[in-house]
Amino acid sequence: MNIAAYIIRRIIFMLFVLLGVLIITFIVSHVIPADPIGAILGPQAPPELIEKINREWGFDKPLYVQFILYVKNLMHGNLGKCIRTNNPVLKDIIIRYPATIELATTALIFSLIIGIPSGIISALKRNKLIDHFIRIFSISGLSMPVFWLGLMLLYVFYFRLGILPGPGRLDLGLTPPPRVTGLYTIDSLIAGRLDLFINTLRHLIMPGFVLGFGAAGSIARLTRASMLEVMRQEYVKAARAKGLIERVVIMRHILRNALITPVTVIGLIYGGLLEGSVLTETIFAWPGLGRYATGVFLFLDFQAVMGVTLFIAIIYSFANLIVDIIYAYIDPRIRYG
Amino acid sequence: MSAKFDAKMGAIVILVVLWVASLGYAYTLNVKIAKIKAAQPKYKLLTDPETLTIAMDISIITTFDGARAYEGTSILIINQCFDKLVDFIPPDYTTVIPEVAESWEVLPDGVTWRFHIRKGITFTNGDPLDAEAVAYTLKRVIILKQEASWLLTQFVSDPENIKVIDDYTVEVKLDRPVAPSFFLSTLACTTTAIVNPKVVEAHAKEGDMGSDWMTTNGGTIGTGSGPFILEEYVPEDRVVLVANENYWRGPPKIKKIIIKHVPEPETQRLMLEAGEVDIAWDLYAEQLKEVAKEPGIRVYKTNSWGVTYIGMNTGVEPLGDNRVRKAIKYAIDYDGIINEILAGAAVKAQTVIPYGFLGFNPSTPYYKNVEKAKALLAEAGYPNGFSIEMAVPAGAYPALDIAAKIKSDLAEIGIDVKIVQITSSEMYERYRAQGLQMVLAGWGSDYPDPDCNAKAFGDYRIHQLAWRNKWYDDYVADLCERAEKEPDPSVRESLYLEITNYILENGPYAVLYQPLVQRAVRTWVEGFIVSPSSYTQSFYEVYKEYVVAPS
Repeated sequence: MNIAAYIIRRIIFMLFVLLGVLIITFIVSHVIPADPIGAILGPQAPPELIEKINREWGFDKPLYVQFILYVKNLMHGNLGKCIRTNNPVLKDIIIRYPATIELATTALIFSLIIGIPSGIISALKRNKLIDHFIRIFSISGLSMPVFWLGLMLLYVFYFRLGILPGPGRLDLGLTPPPRVTGLYTIDSLIAGRLDLFINTLRHLIMPGFVLGFGAAGSIARLTRASMLEVMRQEYVKAARAKGLIERVVIMRHILRNALITPVTVIGLIYGGLLEGSVLTETIFAWPGLGRYATGVFLFLDFQAVMGVTLFIAIIYSFANLIVDIIYAYIDPRIRYG
Repeated sequence: MSAKFDAKMGAIVILVVLWVASLGYAYTLNVKIAKIKAAQPKYKLLTDPETLTIAMDISIITTFDGARAYEGTSILIINQCFDKLVDFIPPDYTTVIPEVAESWEVLPDGVTWRFHIRKGITFTNGDPLDAEAVAYTLKRVIILKQEASWLLTQFVSDPENIKVIDDYTVEVKLDRPVAPSFFLSTLACTTTAIVNPKVVEAHAKEGDMGSDWMTTNGGTIGTGSGPFILEEYVPEDRVVLVANENYWRGPPKIKKIIIKHVPEPETQRLMLEAGEVDIAWDLYAEQLKEVAKEPGIRVYKTNSWGVTYIGMNTGVEPLGDNRVRKAIKYAIDYDGIINEILAGAAVKAQTVIPYGFLGFNPSTPYYKNVEKAKALLAEAGYPNGFSIEMAVPAGAYPALDIAAKIKSDLAEIGIDVKIVQITSSEMYERYRAQGLQMVLAGWGSDYPDPDCNAKAFGDYRIHQLAWRNKWYDDYVADLCERAEKEPDPSVRESLYLEITNYILENGPYAVLYQPLVQRAVRTWVEGFIVSPSSYTQSFYEVYKEYVVAPS
């Protein structure tokens, strides 16, 4: 089976998954007897007004009618409207998503820079002091509360030492570059503003590190386990027996084979990071998707809940798909049946 | 190979040593800074002298259209960019003062009001603000019928009853006679903040009177006539306001305001202490207590326009018995809640009209008295108590801590309270349908007139709190209706005293406290007055006073 057919099959399958997500989210967000409009208007609003606005939104119609209407709108690319912001949900997501992409990518880079070398060193120096050290470090990466780590870093590097900037995507007095992609790193370069570019990078360091640190732990552990497994293989022994120097054995024979497992997981980790992170975004005043999603969930802002869930499901499914494709390239043994 | 890794080990050890050393250095630096700070009374200004920077959670901003905005942060921005017919001068919230309306009179029929518009006010693009603009603004609120419209439509429901008499006179005919101070105090809300019809109509589509455009563009140049102009708004990131140099009362003292979105209070505090922002807007009570001790930071506080209360549904047995409700009122440790849980961020109040309003009743007869509470319960036939549910919004601070305290207080008289945490949207849905047993909730007023609170808590006919707790008491409902219309302030005041006393004695509410509004501000900020409500929070008088300290 060739790879194009495989991808098409996977995409069709993905549509079913998304439909499933849609139905489940719709039911879950509607079975609770909630009144987001009443909650937003607060206790003082007259009941007639709440009823009127509920009617305008179509929330008085039977559930199945609401669902059909929703799917119909979806077919036209309309994700609905967010009650809280009064914006189309898609617009709300587009405004916030570049910040999430930038943060997730930085976090991924940090997690790779820290995670993979630690995993390799740990495996090569198995049961030595440094191995224990790295293993403790990776467990702490997985288990350290993001909230605590973020605030501590802010306290030390921003407040006490003053060597890294405070929260936000840019310094307080700076105006963001004109929006082209919404990614400040790219937009500042397009605008030819090197100062903004550097400022953006500096602002990315702490939140990126905090978010990447947790992921680094799992990447390190996976790389280590995978390395150890490959090192036991016969062909590694054969390579050594041939008299290859150790560096070549490690780089060509062990690493290449050992990295297959981490790569698949890295794709999923990136997918996870792209959902946005409420805690990191909250501490570092990062205007990303995570906080928006939490906000609409807490209010049971129906259409926004559906829109955000669907959007995240699509991102995640694509991350999954891309991982599988990369997998095929790295490991030629894999055949798609 | 192994020698290489040993070298790496060495590197790691060196790094750890460096890290510890840097922490040590940071600590000594900290001690040094503290010494310098203690030695000098004034501080080197760390922020731009012409710019006021504020760290605030702005994620909830919904719109900059006054006719729609019904949420504090949106209202705060609108209040800087628009003028209202009348306003209050804090901290006096019982006397309205003229703003766009220079004067007004009520015609002998008792329902027709004439507003005389101040001459010489222009919108920020130079267009004149005249009777046409005022009438358009009021009609627009009624026609659009958005979230906050009831503030006006409770008096005038038909846009035809708003007429332009001449270039600078507008006539408003109310549906029924009301106390003058009641009507006027609602006009100090930004709902009726005057918009420029030319600019707004130029962006209208599908009969929305420009409301969609105003969502993000309200306050930009030409839309209003206020002391500031909205320059930039990036959702969940920042709001930037610049001074209106042609403001009719003279240009504001500060040239720019940057409101930076910082959702986490702890981060706000770090930014305030580092001197990156001048004001931290949303600090918790505990944090405020800490920062207040620091030199260079001042905490401004005022009473809010709200009360926090426990509602008791009289339709649920045995809450229908007033003796049981009084037993609950006598079981609660009010001082403990205020001093321990709220760290002093509230004042004791037990009546439904907050301090600062006409008709405020300082009476606080209830205190924790377990014996008395038990006796009342026994008298009502429940010597061994009973079990009841209390709804609390999920995850809300400090509501959950208070609920836990109430649970333990009521357990002392044998009442078993089951705390039910539900999302606020579900809670309001059930509350409005009379479906809660007990509830821990807050009530905030939009305008400082006692009518709003008295009717909500006393008059079941308007389907507010009294109705939601099934307290159908015609005596107090009639009193509320009478007080609403009473033109004589002193008679009105005595009516409200009667109402609050009656509710205190018989009502299905245990009012716990009146929260404080507190802001942490750097001492170089002058002219800042903290307001209990966003409707009256102004930055017009704010400026920075500083000396450059020797380096």
